[in-house]
Formats: sequence, structure tokens, C-alpha cells
Amino acid sequence: MGSFTLGKYLPLNSCIHKLDPRAKIIAMLIVLIAIFIPAGWLGYGLIALAVISLIFMAKLSLKFVIKAMKPMLFMMVFLLVINILVVKSGTIILSIGSFAIYTDAIIQTLYIVVRLVLMIMITTALTATTKPLDLTLGIEDLLKPFARFKVPSHEIAMLISIALRFIPDLIEETQRIMKAQTSRGVDLKEGKLKEKVMAILSLIVPLFVSAFQRAEDLANAMEARGYAPGATRTRYKVLKMERNDYILLVVSFVLCIALIILAIL
Amino acid sequence: MECIKVKDLSYSYDGENFAVKNVSFNINKGSYTTIIGHNGSGKSTIAKLLIGLLEKNSGSIIIEDLELNMQNIYKIRNKVGIVFQNPDNQFIGSTVRDDIAFGLENHCVPQEQMDAIIDEFAKKVNMTNFLDSEPTHLSGGQKQRVAIAGVLAMHPDIIIFDESTSMLDPQGKDEIKKFIYQLHQDKQLTIISITHDIEEVSISDDVIVMNDGQVVMHGKPQDVLINDKQLVEIKLDVPFSVKLSLALANKGIKIDKQLSLEKVVDEICQLNLKK
Amino acid sequence: MPIKFEKVSHIYSDGSPFTYTALKEIDLEIIEGKMTAIIGATGSGKSTLVQHLNALLLPTSGKVEVLDRIIASDEKPTKLKSLRKNVGLVFQFPEYQLFEETIIKDVAFGPKNFEFSEEEAIAKAKKALAMVDIDPSYYDKSPLDLSGGQKRRVAIAGILAMDPKVIVLDEPTAGLDPQGAKAIMELFKKLNKEYNKTIIIVSHDMEHVFNYCDDVVVLDHGNVRCHLSVDQFFKDSNWCEQLHIIPPFIIQAKELLKNRGIEITKDIKTVDELAEEIAKKVIK
Repeated sequence: MGSFTLGKYLPLNSCIHKLDPRAKIIAMLIVLIAIFIPAGWLGYGLIALAVISLIFMAKLSLKFVIKAMKPMLFMMVFLLVINILVVKSGTIILSIGSFAIYTDAIIQTLYIVVRLVLMIMITTALTATTKPLDLTLGIEDLLKPFARFKVPSHEIAMLISIALRFIPDLIEETQRIMKAQTSRGVDLKEGKLKEKVMAILSLIVPLFVSAFQRAEDLANAMEARGYAPGATRTRYKVLKMERNDYILLVVSFVLCIALIILAIL
Repeated sequence: MECIKVKDLSYSYDGENFAVKNVSFNINKGSYTTIIGHNGSGKSTIAKLLIGLLEKNSGSIIIEDLELNMQNIYKIRNKVGIVFQNPDNQFIGSTVRDDIAFGLENHCVPQEQMDAIIDEFAKKVNMTNFLDSEPTHLSGGQKQRVAIAGVLAMHPDIIIFDESTSMLDPQGKDEIKKFIYQLHQDKQLTIISITHDIEEVSISDDVIVMNDGQVVMHGKPQDVLINDKQLVEIKLDVPFSVKLSLALANKGIKIDKQLSLEKVVDEICQLNLKK
Repeated sequence: MPIKFEKVSHIYSDGSPFTYTALKEIDLEIIEGKMTAIIGATGSGKSTLVQHLNALLLPTSGKVEVLDRIIASDEKPTKLKSLRKNVGLVFQFPEYQLFEETIIKDVAFGPKNFEFSEEEAIAKAKKALAMVDIDPSYYDKSPLDLSGGQKRRVAIAGILAMDPKVIVLDEPTAGLDPQGAKAIMELFKKLNKEYNKTIIIVSHDMEHVFNYCDDVVVLDHGNVRCHLSVDQFFKDSNWCEQLHIIPPFIIQAKELLKNRGIEITKDIKTVDELAEEIAKKVIK
């Protein structure tokens, strides 16, 4: 778990951390769109420059961002293999008997890999600089205009924030049940298939039972403290857009426009 | 003046066995009442009925002259707060600050006033230094203190503690018990505490003893807790001081049944001087 | 075969910024056949200590000797199963580990994992359930239909069915009502006296420690503060004072009487014995 950095929040003190989560989410969406504009290597260069300077401003180490890509490494290799097998255009670089690798295969794979890398970098920059709870608040506010289409923005946000709140508790609970069952002779690593199935059941059933108990307790506690779904309530945390937030939006917008112009030219 | 009037209250979870059967009792404003009974005697069901988490099958609950029904349930919940048993499962916010704010948000307290209220009540429960702490970094006792702050911040008239100390370590138990007693001394609130702790019962004003969904005794602790035979019959503990006076009586030493060990010792010493 | 800790340290997340030393070079010898209480404030290392007994945790340094097995830091212990069969560990709130459809199956789960045949496992389960006073009419019910106290007893039976030589319990009475707690403590006493099991209990309840246990180990910030017989421990009122423990009622009564000039020197355990001693002094 220690080396898994994708989606992890890093509590640092930078100007990017202080930005309004709404601005960050919108900017991320704009840049994600920009990544899909076919503006050639120059376009990708521009985006990369913007993203890297953002990461630099957020005081994130490049090592942290690269670590976040580890889970994607397998996918990238997989893409390369598929492309090599499928794409049969351009000039041949290497041929072994009837099997040949074409330049286009390499170039197309590189395009996809660069896009993927940029996407991971930009999402990591968002999640590493925004507390999960602020992210939820941002999503709630951004979804508010959709209320007229019956999108329950507040309920969605409440759901996510409670899920986030209980993740550490559930991890602890899982470890505790694992230890308890290990004490009863369960071996989660070895054993025949049937034994393994039992081992997993002995873990999952208690987890569900306790999760339901927890959910019931939680619902009681929330109701007792006056929570009623759908009722009007005030909000303690209010988000406020400031000058830097607008700058971020303008910069990402300009970047997107620049890529569109590049693509057309 | 009575602020809670319960009359002929019944409730069944499955439609067959009654968890609460024809229960009637009144609770005085500003009093500190404990409810005891073995697990499954219906104590917690009563608490859930009182704040409308469960809907009664029959009977009536009147709180501050307002009959509890599905129409005015939110009005009642403005008057009654509850602190549950499990410290983790009632901590809703991601930090202490957010958790106290949760109740305020539900009660539509204007955002500008919230910080002041949060500070005031965090101070009251001695959690000012932990306002930005996450629940995983707090002890059980600290989490229960936050739960109390969250309830107090809504200015209830009545506060129910549903075995709020039973999952805590001795230090946490002690903290919360002292805090409940201090709340009682402030005379602002009516306190109901569901407990197994005989010591806590002996410092309360009144005690309600439950067995099998019914109220079997209701009165001053010094009158109720000396009924050793009845208590043992319904699987409850007898205070040590009462046990000692009984054992002494068997040895031919007659002493009044007392709730405090000090008083029993006093009486023994007086006998010692007389001889 | 005593249970021995030699210079055992346990450090969580060693080398990371969250590193935490839970045990600090502990030396401890728990005598076989006794009922030993482990007490100490939250965070003193009790849970870490007991998890070393069946090698759920391995020492960071030092070695633990349990039933002729040596668990050390520098070796990867293989074949832990026999150790886990012989050292039954009951966690706090063990009712959360119940998962089978029926009570009898759940209790038989442990023995089956330890290579007993289906029939043997069921026989062991029945024996264990009888020990914890669960009526045969319950055997085919779901464990989820039981009351809290019954669930706890079934979960404990799940460990007893493995027929361990050493039984370790982490706060076995937490959350139970006084009668339920008493029934469970009586059960451990019986297992100790009649079945000659070594019992190690982590507890916060001084009445239980005083009434049921032989020895007491006090942990304090990862160190063993003292290891005494229960009688010795409570006789010296300094211990309770230093450790901020409220002493058991019998001890409180003796102390109050002593302050008023009635000194009872004999070691007593029950209210009746106390009354008898008082009667001797007062009547004569």
C-alpha cells in the first residue's frame, strides 16, 4: 500500500493546494479535453509544459507523480503489443521472418502513451492537492445546476464523504477479522481451492455483517441529529472563488483554444 | 414539573414478542434518571422510541407537552439529543469540527454563526486542541466527547446517553461519567442515562429498573438498589455496600443497607466503639 | 513449559515516518496452568503483546518461547498451524468473526482448518458448545439469530473447539451486562481449574482480575511495570495509586476500615470472608 500513490492526497502548503476545488475540477476537465485534440507533438509539448509547471507549483515531487503511473505500466505495455500486432502501415523497422514491426505502430502507441501519461499527471495533480472532502464539496456544487434534472447533488456528495470517512475504519476492521480467522487456522495464502473459498467467505461474511450494523448505527445517529434527506440545510464549508482560481480557469481555457488552433492549422 | 410522560407504551420488532410492554413512567424536568436492566430488557428500545427512531405500536409519549407522532417528530428531535454506545459509528464528519457542524447544518444554523458555536462547545467538552483531528486519531473517550458536543450545540432540553460509556476504557468511562454528572449539576438539562454501572446509578436522582420489556421498579436509588433479592432475580448486580451489609447481617451484625461503602464502614466503626 | 519473552521489542512501520514502538525489550515469563491477567492503559502494548503468543505478530527483535517453539525476529517461522492450534486467541468482540450458516458449523470451522475430519470437528464443536452452555437445540440455528451474550459464547466455543493448551483473551467481557460477564469469567475459571488450561486475559475490570486471576502483569508504555501474584499486587495500595486504578471493592473496604483503626491482615476474596473478619473484630 505504501508505494501506491494514485489518487492519494499530499498535505503540502502550496498555492495550488489553496485553489478552489471547483476551479481545479473544471480546469482538469478542460485540459483532459485538450489532450484529445489532435494537435500533434507541439500540442502535447504545450500541455506537458503546462502540466509540469503545475506540478512544480504544487510542490509535488516528480518521483511521486511517476509512482502514480506504476499501476498503468502494464496497460501501456499491453497497448504497445496490440499495436505492433495490428498496425501494418508505414515503413518497416524490423522484420523477423513473416513478422514485421512498422513505424506507425510505434508512433500510434507513443501517442496513446503520451496521452495516458498526461491524463494521469493531471488527475494526480488534482487529487494530490485537494482533500477528498473538498473534492466532494466541489462536485456537489458543480452538480447543483443539474438539480432540475433530478440529480441529487447533495446526496451524492454526502454518500461520497461518508464512504471516505469510513474507509480507514473498514480497513482496520478487515485486518482485525483477518487476524481473528488466522487464529482459527485460516490460511489466506495457501491451501486448496475449496479451502481458499472458505477462507475468503470467513472474511467477507463478517465484514458485511459489521458493515450493515455500522450502516444502521450511522443512519440512527444521523437521523437523531436532525438529518433528513431532501430537507434544506445550511452548509458549514462554503467554497469561494478567488483571483488565482480565475487565472487557472483562463489559462486552461487558453491552452485548450491554442490546441484547437494548432489542430486546424 | 414533568417533562417526559410515557403511558402504556408498547413496541415489538417482529409483531410477536414485545420488546417494550405497557411501559409507563414520568420524568421530572432537570432530573438525572438512570435506566438499568440486563441486555435485551428493552432499555435501548425505550431510548429509540423517545427520539422517534422507532414508531410505537401503542401508548403515548409526551415530551414537553408535545405528543410524539410522525408529524412533529422533527420538533421533538430539536428537544431531545442522544449519545449512542459505539463511538465510531456516530462520528459523521471527517474532523471534529465537521462533526459538530453536522447537526448545526441540519438545523439550518446560518453559516456565519457556526464557527463560534463549534468553538464554544468544543471548549465545553475540552476538545479545543483537536478541532482539526480526524476520528482515527482520537480515543474512544474523545470521540464520545465530540458526540456530546454535537448534541449540546443543538441546545436540547433532554439528553439521552444510551450506554455511552460501555465501549470505553476505564479512563474514558471516568471522563464521560464525570461530564454527565457535571451537566446535571449545571441544572439546565434533563438527563436520561441507560447504563450497567451501578455506581453511576447510585449518584442519579431516580432509577428505572427494566426486565423483560417492563418497568419493575422506579424510584430513588437508595430505595431501589437495596432490594437485593429482586435485583438478583432479574440478573442485575447489587451494589457492593449492600452485599456487605447483607453478609454482615448473616454474621449477626445489623447494619442499615446503604449505597455508600463509606457509610457502611462508619456504622461498623460505631459498633466497634460501643462494644 | 512456560511462556517466555526475552528482550522482545515490537516496532510498527519501522523506518517509516509513522514508526511506533509498542513493546520495548520486554522480559516476561508466564507460568503454565495459571490464570494471568494483563492490565495497563490503552496504548500500553497489551494487544501487541498477546498477538505475539500465536505469532500473528513477530517480534522486531528478541524472541518469544511458546510451548517449545521459539519465535524470533531473524527467522521466518514456518508451520505456524500447530502453534495456532495450541494457542487459541480470542479477540475483542469475537462475535464479529462468526460467518457460517449454523452455529455448529461455525464452531467446527476451527478444528476443520487444523486437519480434523468432519466428524471429529463436529464432535469437538459439540463438546465446546456444551462447555459454554449453548443448548443443543440451538446447533442448527444461524449464529446471527443469537443475543449478544450468546454470540460471544459461541465465538469463544469456536476457539475452545480447537482444544488449545493456552487460551488468550483480549477483553472478553467488554460490552456485556454484569451477569453475562460473570458467566464468561466463571467459564474461564472452570477451563483453568478443571481442564488445566493456561489462561491469559487482557482486562480493564479489576473486580474480574481480583476475583478470578492468579497473577497480574502490568504493562506501561511498552514496558513490563510489574509481574506479581494478584494478592500481592492489591495488598500494596501504592500500585493502584501509581497506575490510577480503582481497586476492587474488597480492597477499598479493607483500606477504609484500616483508616478507621480496624485492620484486616488476612488475604480475603469474598464478601462473606470480609464480613467474617469484621465480625471477629467487632463482636469478640
